[in-house]
Amino acid sequence: MSPQAVTVAYLASAVLFIVGIKGFAKPDTAKTGNALTILGMLIAVAVTGLVAFSATTEGLPFVAGTIAIGAVIGALLARSLPMTAMPELVGLLNSFGGLAAVFVGISSYLAPGHAYTTEAERNVHLVECWLGVAIGSLTFTGSVVAWAKLRGTLSGKPLLFPGRHLLNLALVGATIGLAWPFVGEASTDAGLTWILALTAITGVLGITLVLAIGGADMPVVISLLNSYSGWAGAMTGFVLQNDVLIVSGAIVGSSGIILTIVMCRGMNRSVLNVVFGGFGTEGGGPARKVEGEVRELDVAAVAAALSTAKEVVIVPGYGMAVARAQHPVKELVELVQAHGGRVRFAIHPVAGRLPGHMNVLLAEAGVPYDLVHEMETINTDFPKTDVVLVIGANDIVNPAAVDDPNSAIAGMPVLHVWESALTVVFKRSLGAGYAGVDNALFLHERTRMLFGDAKKTADALVAALRNV
Amino acid sequence: MTHCVMVGASYDPAVRTLTLGVPRERAPREKRVAIVPGVVAKLKELGFEVVVESGAGEAAGYGDDSYRDVGATIASASDGPYREGAASAYGCDVVVKVMPFEHDELAKLREGATTISLLYPARNPELVKALAARGVTAIALDKIPRITRAQKMDVLSSMANLAGYRAVLEAAAAFQGFFGAQVTAAGTERPARILVIGAGVAGLAAIAAGRALGAEVRAFDVRAAAKEQVESLGGKFLTVELDESGEGAGGYAKSMSKEFIEAEMALFRAQAKEVDVIVTTALVPGAKAPILVGDDVVACLKPGSVVVDLAAEQGGNCSLTKPGEAVVHEGVTILGYTDLPSRMAATSSRFFAGNVLALLSDMARAPAGGEAGFRVDLEDEVVRAATLTHGGQELPPPPPPEPSPPAPKKDAPTIAKKPEPKPESAGAIVFGILMAVAFTLVAFYAPDAFVQRFTVFILACFVGWQVVWAVAPALHTPLMSVTNAVSGIVLVGGLLQAAPGGSSLAVILGLCALLVATINVAGGFFVTDRMLGMFKKGGPR
Repeated sequence: MSPQAVTVAYLASAVLFIVGIKGFAKPDTAKTGNALTILGMLIAVAVTGLVAFSATTEGLPFVAGTIAIGAVIGALLARSLPMTAMPELVGLLNSFGGLAAVFVGISSYLAPGHAYTTEAERNVHLVECWLGVAIGSLTFTGSVVAWAKLRGTLSGKPLLFPGRHLLNLALVGATIGLAWPFVGEASTDAGLTWILALTAITGVLGITLVLAIGGADMPVVISLLNSYSGWAGAMTGFVLQNDVLIVSGAIVGSSGIILTIVMCRGMNRSVLNVVFGGFGTEGGGPARKVEGEVRELDVAAVAAALSTAKEVVIVPGYGMAVARAQHPVKELVELVQAHGGRVRFAIHPVAGRLPGHMNVLLAEAGVPYDLVHEMETINTDFPKTDVVLVIGANDIVNPAAVDDPNSAIAGMPVLHVWESALTVVFKRSLGAGYAGVDNALFLHERTRMLFGDAKKTADALVAALRNV
Repeated sequence: MTHCVMVGASYDPAVRTLTLGVPRERAPREKRVAIVPGVVAKLKELGFEVVVESGAGEAAGYGDDSYRDVGATIASASDGPYREGAASAYGCDVVVKVMPFEHDELAKLREGATTISLLYPARNPELVKALAARGVTAIALDKIPRITRAQKMDVLSSMANLAGYRAVLEAAAAFQGFFGAQVTAAGTERPARILVIGAGVAGLAAIAAGRALGAEVRAFDVRAAAKEQVESLGGKFLTVELDESGEGAGGYAKSMSKEFIEAEMALFRAQAKEVDVIVTTALVPGAKAPILVGDDVVACLKPGSVVVDLAAEQGGNCSLTKPGEAVVHEGVTILGYTDLPSRMAATSSRFFAGNVLALLSDMARAPAGGEAGFRVDLEDEVVRAATLTHGGQELPPPPPPEPSPPAPKKDAPTIAKKPEPKPESAGAIVFGILMAVAFTLVAFYAPDAFVQRFTVFILACFVGWQVVWAVAPALHTPLMSVTNAVSGIVLVGGLLQAAPGGSSLAVILGLCALLVATINVAGGFFVTDRMLGMFKKGGPR
């Protein structure tokens, strides 16, 4: 293939990535978007293969075999895992991307692929390798820790050891500082030691950074790591002088940053606040004490209220995902509709453990996506709502965010469920949410609690509603 | 002292069922009838024998036969005063009419009977006196309190709903243009603009009807609570820059201060220059309707504009309104029709009868420990409020209901409504500095080839930024997994590094990269596809 043909093919592949991701703007076009992105990937791989094996086909069987094995493993992982394990899977796949960037960076350092013509070119290449490996290694270990936290292997509690900021700072300093001896090192063997040391240092940094972040902040972390894997890819593009890598890496990097911003706005916190932990330490005075009486309601009474309600809004949270209650919830929707009520879902941007987590779970249960609304579009409708069901959500429906300036979550946008005629809260027990803040909603005069496992409660409610 | 009285106490209910009479309406242009054939069967269940004056339902499209078919008795029109035993709709135990009784009708009523109709006691004090003197229990449908329990009996609301809808249709007929926007080969038309003053039941119905015809609707109301309702129907809510709540008792607005009224008038004048149709619906209970559209406001309207005054019956909100008529003043048509519900007599009669049926079934409900059957229970909040005369006496008005609570102020706390992450601006500055440094370094030190790739990189960042912001939040998880797959494009790097073959460390590392990156790519794409396959739109129900 001529160099022009290769460039044009890469350009086509980059365009397909952009058009493909543009398709994700609407659920109707997302599937086509995914197909176009896959096509872009196939073109990029095919063209690279043609270029790589134009001179010799010696490595072809190994390469083809490896790709086949990797594809089978990837497909099996994607097919076998339940939808509720989606956050973990994304974290795990992300770690692979980071690891690959580390391997490529080191490999490219050892065998640059083309001779350097100037000193500057060599230096730039070495810095690129250095950055690619650093970001890749950080992404790898960070994603592994996030994965372990999401699947519960590691505790979701933030691990805040004293002096961690100092340690992190030292690690960052070492990452930058060691670049000088590495670039100055003429011998590849000695350089290899440096770059392995770098892998270790940034790996440790990834671990300490993510360990300090709590489970409910994982959406932000996953988004951020996703972004890092993009930047690592773009760095690799610089290393290999390959435009398609640069373009796709930049898109992925931007995407991760945007998701991070969306998540942080959803919590009214800065990215730095999330990344460096230290949640709930700000605020002027003591948070208002929440006192009052909790009123309970039984399943039959809730079923009766649902059977006559005209407007019902369901607010799902992580608790629904944990209890896997989305399937009975879907049945609930159908039964309320059969009784003549309109049911909609209100999704807070940080509900769940991934951006858009609740949407995926509801889609899995077969809830049509046009019933599922974002916070901004539905938040003004609560005064007109007859019944709100809050299923396993806490901080995102806490009125303290609106009316208590001293609360740890003050200013966080929340769903104003308390404005409805009746709010029923499905809850395991009367504990505080992730943020450790009491929730005045549970004591509100128009709130009733329905204690128990969300799935069992939803099942019971379905049975009761059938008999109304 | 008990106020619980059995109607027709001298009759033994076991021997005689109660009769319910439906006279023909006497008022000019009144086409409605108080009871339609559709509710006769239910009235029978409540223990009523229904007597309909011949021709009562004719104008609303319910002939005598349609009543006979469901088991009602048809009585001929009676001219003389009440005589025991004579078959007359007026001589029944309960007499139901739409409009207030006229004085010459009273003699036809039986002493001790119950009448149910609109009465407007504030406007008709003599009528109330005469009803008391005649010894009937008079229930005024217009005095049914506006509480939740009594909503189903609220004739004023159901009629106001029809009137609001009809008002817009009458305006559309009088207006010489399209209501909805038009884009045709002959030219384009902007949608007509409607201003609705007073967003009560009638006003809201007018807003909905106007929107349904494609017009642009603005609405004004002194009650802040109306804003949400107006907006929910697609109307734009207008406000004046003065902080005063007009929330009064029973869902009506209270009178406002002078400053407020001046600001209001200024708003209407400004609006009149823009709108094509004004619908006014402002009523003050028991008083003459306020003038909201004065000569000065009408003067601001374009020729061809239409004003529909739903308050015409109570004097009108427009200074030029002639009740019951359409007048044209300098090209502006002012409709003062007082019979809007009557213009939809079939439907309005059905609604009216439905409200009356709800009232009667409520009154016939069994009390605690008693038997079901129609009675006038003055202990009952709704019945007490609506009953004006009883036992030859005028009843004093009941204590007024509590005003509805003002809408909670949403911005009361000191926290900003739209929280912005604080460090964003600081972050932007830092980002800008970093970019400047990076650009300078690249400009002075980097080799040519690097600058080219750097250009691609920066432009790709901007493209990515634009494309990803457009992604629906509902698809953020699939977005994450697809970008995850795309980030696995590092496999291209692995491929290049592994291609030379052999067993050098660089090649082995390349193969390792290839393996994990392929897992990433394949896994990411497959899982995205699996997720997207689940997103389904709701089908038609």
